[in-house]
Amino acid sequence: MTRTWLAQILAVIRLEVKKTFFAKRGLWIYLLAFMPLALFVAHAIAIEYHHEARERLASRNQKPLSYQDLTSISKGMSRKEVIERLGKPPSSHSWDESEQDESGHSHVVANELYRYSDGASDLAIQFEDGTVTGTSLRESEGLGEDAVVFAGVFQFFYLRLAIFFGCLGIFMNLFRGELVDKSLHFYFLAPIRRDLLMVAKYFAGLLAATVIFVTSEALQFIALCWSFDSTVLNSYLYHGHGLAHLAAYLGITALACIGYGSLFLAAGLWFRNPILPAAVILIWEALNPFLPSVLQKISVIYYLKSLCPVEIPASPGTPAIFAMLISNPEPIAAPVAILGVILVSVAILVLSSRRVRRMEINYTTE
Amino acid sequence: MSRQITLDNVSKFYGEVLGVNRVNLSIPPGITSLVGPNGAGKTTLMNLMTGLIQPSRGTIRILGHSTDEPEKLFKLVGYSTQFDSFPKGLTGYQFLYLYLKLFGYDSRHADELAWRAIERANLTEAADRKVAAYSKGMRQRIRLAQSLAHNPRVLILDEPLNGLDPLARAEMIAMFRSLAAEGCHVILSSHILHEVDIISDQVILLSNGYVVAEGQIQDVRNEIRDEPAQILIRCDNQRQLASKLIESGLAIEVRMHQDGRGLLIKTADADHFYLALNRLVQGGLDVESVIPADDDVNSVYEYLIGTEGAAV
Repeated sequence: MTRTWLAQILAVIRLEVKKTFFAKRGLWIYLLAFMPLALFVAHAIAIEYHHEARERLASRNQKPLSYQDLTSISKGMSRKEVIERLGKPPSSHSWDESEQDESGHSHVVANELYRYSDGASDLAIQFEDGTVTGTSLRESEGLGEDAVVFAGVFQFFYLRLAIFFGCLGIFMNLFRGELVDKSLHFYFLAPIRRDLLMVAKYFAGLLAATVIFVTSEALQFIALCWSFDSTVLNSYLYHGHGLAHLAAYLGITALACIGYGSLFLAAGLWFRNPILPAAVILIWEALNPFLPSVLQKISVIYYLKSLCPVEIPASPGTPAIFAMLISNPEPIAAPVAILGVILVSVAILVLSSRRVRRMEINYTTE
Repeated sequence: MSRQITLDNVSKFYGEVLGVNRVNLSIPPGITSLVGPNGAGKTTLMNLMTGLIQPSRGTIRILGHSTDEPEKLFKLVGYSTQFDSFPKGLTGYQFLYLYLKLFGYDSRHADELAWRAIERANLTEAADRKVAAYSKGMRQRIRLAQSLAHNPRVLILDEPLNGLDPLARAEMIAMFRSLAAEGCHVILSSHILHEVDIISDQVILLSNGYVVAEGQIQDVRNEIRDEPAQILIRCDNQRQLASKLIESGLAIEVRMHQDGRGLLIKTADADHFYLALNRLVQGGLDVESVIPADDDVNSVYEYLIGTEGAAV
């Protein structure tokens, strides 16, 4: 019996996976999944460009400069003092401006802009009539800062929107899409238990969703690391928490597919119009931090948020409502969170299996 | 295992709308035709028998199995529906092969059965073409092939001859007969009454969701006592026979048949008529044949349901 069931599950997965991966109507899911990748690739290209520009600038320095040399320049210093410390500027720009003094007499101010670099950071110094009036030090992009941005994109876009709507597109179509296409009877005319069919379809959806979103997440991480040199990467990946964070992100992505997948498969069995359940679930998930703790547990995001490896710091001006979304006042232990998502999903699938056993083919009402 | 298909007090309502009501049937092996006008409940009855819809009331057993156990039911049952849609992007062969894989068959067995079904449906040349590119008749045949592919003991066929050319119709009818002769149940619905007449062992007449008659067509006709029986007699002296029949009071109505070579008689008591006819013709009349003229599906349909759709 188990052997037959396995063969039947594999047959359904074979059919469904092909449909899910190559369906034209699923193209938007790929766009949604790979949108953050485009963002991180663009960011990596920009960093690479800046890095090369700084190195070019540094190579034209009169003498080798250190980060301390760059930070030693302050307002009020003369051009001579600056050149004594940093040498002649590898890049400079000058222009004259006419200004009126308090007595109404106009005079010409000689402006200059010098740029120096130590290869990693660059310094812009502005002179007025040979005196430093302002400096701007652009430090090299740090992996730490980018990792926080990555965490933000993951929590607020990828998890709450991309995976959420991607799973909606994949899992709601497993049954609802076939009712719309009037092809569900193909499965219902075969000697396969309806609940087994549901499980097989769920696994097919899960496989497709996980491959799409985990691949995108892994590529995003590679894009994040791409522009940093090997020393920084080694330190982040092997001596910091880089690899652990990557594993956590991939795991959370897979768990999100498990959780949202079960929710949307069930929604596809109960509702004709996907917009209504999607809106209700989206609002429920968004309201999660504001709900009583008992109700918080009946959601997917509650568990996933607890698993996120990087805490996103709320800046002082953050509105209270966003601060609530960011904060996680009662984080739960990782094993409990993982088990929580799985248990919620199993409970939803058990309820759905009852529904699918009583499901009727009545295309005229679709 | 039971050899019958039984429906016990089965009703199906779609909200307020009646699908079928209080259907009690016991269908033996052989070819059984469901006959009735559009909306009579034929497809509803077939969908109920295959578990695609659930009865609002009553129970259905197919060779002893409940219809809410598809894992057991569809090993025995093949259903050719009227739904004209297929999983996207599949060729005729893939459609059958993947359907058979859902049974849990290994690849070799599924492949063998798929090709056998394709050959039976005469689709060998089109097997590698996409089903979406098939003509209406070919789609009908691939659906028939699907229903037959796993060699079921019960075949349920919704309008199986629709869209088929005369040769294919003849082939299909021959196949249904052969399956029935092997002891299978072949349950089909059709609008084409003369074909139903030719192929059916028994008929189930439906009207407005109710079964109005069931059984062998002659038996059904015999049950219709308020309609006089029509008998066609071919003999050498039609005028003499006509006057004798009217004098004896055996016939309610006597008229010449359309072809001018026989008498069409209406009588209230057919059994008595046949007995008396022997005595009547002993005086030198040469009777060539005596044939019941209204024990076909068309006539029964007309008597029981009316003319709405009977002329197809």
